Amino acid sequence: MGKGLSTRSPRGMVAGGGLRHAGWAASVAIVVFLFLLPLLPSVTNSTLFTLTLMLTTVGVAVNWNLTGGFTGYVDFGHAVWFGIGAYTTAILVSLQSNGPQIGWSPIPAIGLGALVAGLLAAVIGRATMRLKGPYFSIAMLGTFVAMREIVRVSGVTGGGVGLTLPPYLNRPLFYYIQLVLVVALVAFTWWLRRTRFGAALVAIREDEIGAEMRGIDTTHFKVSVFSFAGFSTGLFGGLWAYQNTFVDPDIAFVEVRTVDAVMSTMLGGLGTVAGPVVGAVVLYWLREVLWANLLDYHLLTQGALLIVIVLFIPRGLVGLVDRRGTSVTALWGHWLGRRADRQKREDET
Amino acid sequence: MTALLEARGVVKRFGGLTALDHVDITVGEGEMVGLIGPNGSGKTTLFDCLSRVSNVDAGSITFDGTDITRHRPHQVARLGMSRTFQVIRLYRDLTVSENMELSIQWEGLGASGLFTKTDPGTRRRVESLLEFLLLAPLRNERAGVLSGGQRRLLEIGMALMSEPRLVLLDEATSGVNPALVVEIADRLREVNRSGGVAFLLVEHNVGFVADLCQRVVVLDQGAKLAEGTPRRIMHDPAVVEAYFGAEGEVRK
Repeated sequence: MGKGLSTRSPRGMVAGGGLRHAGWAASVAIVVFLFLLPLLPSVTNSTLFTLTLMLTTVGVAVNWNLTGGFTGYVDFGHAVWFGIGAYTTAILVSLQSNGPQIGWSPIPAIGLGALVAGLLAAVIGRATMRLKGPYFSIAMLGTFVAMREIVRVSGVTGGGVGLTLPPYLNRPLFYYIQLVLVVALVAFTWWLRRTRFGAALVAIREDEIGAEMRGIDTTHFKVSVFSFAGFSTGLFGGLWAYQNTFVDPDIAFVEVRTVDAVMSTMLGGLGTVAGPVVGAVVLYWLREVLWANLLDYHLLTQGALLIVIVLFIPRGLVGLVDRRGTSVTALWGHWLGRRADRQKREDET
Repeated sequence: MTALLEARGVVKRFGGLTALDHVDITVGEGEMVGLIGPNGSGKTTLFDCLSRVSNVDAGSITFDGTDITRHRPHQVARLGMSRTFQVIRLYRDLTVSENMELSIQWEGLGASGLFTKTDPGTRRRVESLLEFLLLAPLRNERAGVLSGGQRRLLEIGMALMSEPRLVLLDEATSGVNPALVVEIADRLREVNRSGGVAFLLVEHNVGFVADLCQRVVVLDQGAKLAEGTPRRIMHDPAVVEAYFGAEGEVRK
């Protein structure tokens, strides 16, 4: 009895209690600091706008992580939901009737923008999430490009010229709105990961056929989370459009937004709660501070960073202490469908 | 014996190759049935069709009186059929316990069940099955680091977690050391006797099948070659020829 079975002591999957408590304390301290930040006399509206844009990057990365990191569906077109949220908001707030503005007030417009993005994500996700690995990724990239071109030629969107929104001045208000949203989104992700629903998403990433055969309605789970991510990124899109006071197809639908989300999540830790937050902040800081001095080489630096992550920290910065996520290399294996082949080789040796 | 699983005239083609050619198979309530045949005879393909991982080109499959020919795998699982795979399918980045917790019966969970943590009842069942399958000391290990035999045991545990009425076991002893094969046989027999769980086993280990099963079905080149008790099958000249050629014999 028990032959061949290891009796090693259970290995902790997460950092020890002390480190975990320190992480919680640091998180609370950072959030309190961010809430108090606008009260400091040295913080200008310009600084607040930069921080608001950083919060946007964080929010989009957290949403991308729900489908890419937790569920294993690597979405190369995630920025499409940002663009749809931004444009729906822009159209609604800049409505005119023979001259006078009859536009919606920003909050319901932004809310409807998010809803449209979420509903479209549910419809498009139901079709594209039948595809696996690179096929899904490319289908989403195609969706992104197609949507941008539809917006470019459509009348209601202002075509290639874009739309101008009413001016807005209250930077602290929108900073606080986005800060609350990001904190709520991270708390939601933390909670979701601990539920059976969140665990089912990870099961889909690890082995979709196995998950389906063990009673998980994989279509329902993955389309639901994809739709939520679309809704939430649409929300950030609407907030961005209102603050930017101008949208056109090339700034609302920009590939870099997806690239930033992917890079942030990889850098911070795929499939972890804190990973995309840490990754997005580090990436943003690198871009603002370091890359400002290396303008000609910033893309080279970005590529080099990606190589460093894959080679030296495949589980990301957060993955160094929290092993509950996954690594870039494992996700790459799932993406290419190599998992079964690799295991078969292991079984044969 | 009432038929729990009944497949009639199952046909599966891959391009010009007919992998299954009008195969009939039944498994009764609480029965242990072996499915044997040479490599490439269509055993795993039949498993894939029965568990709805693959579509059939013709024929019908009913489980517990429900026509499941067009069902999706999760629907079949929720009706009470579970399976293991020839190439083991685990959630490698999750712990042994988490793998088990994710293999519950999902039918009827509802939103309240989906958006909660694992309940104490499920944890107790996980712990008891891990003890039963000798995996309790490994409960917090990542599934990806287990040995081949441990992974086989874990996959069997996951198949039993949902309290199924029928388990399809695809080469449960492949890559497992002989001592553990005996343990697996004992465990399966106990589950069958105490829980009334039916098993359909694909196996290359003919002795394992003969020990456990009341009935054996033999496939050869996608068609049913023979069916009967293990003793009868082992002395069937057509089976002996299919396995070892005209001069061979099947040894227990």
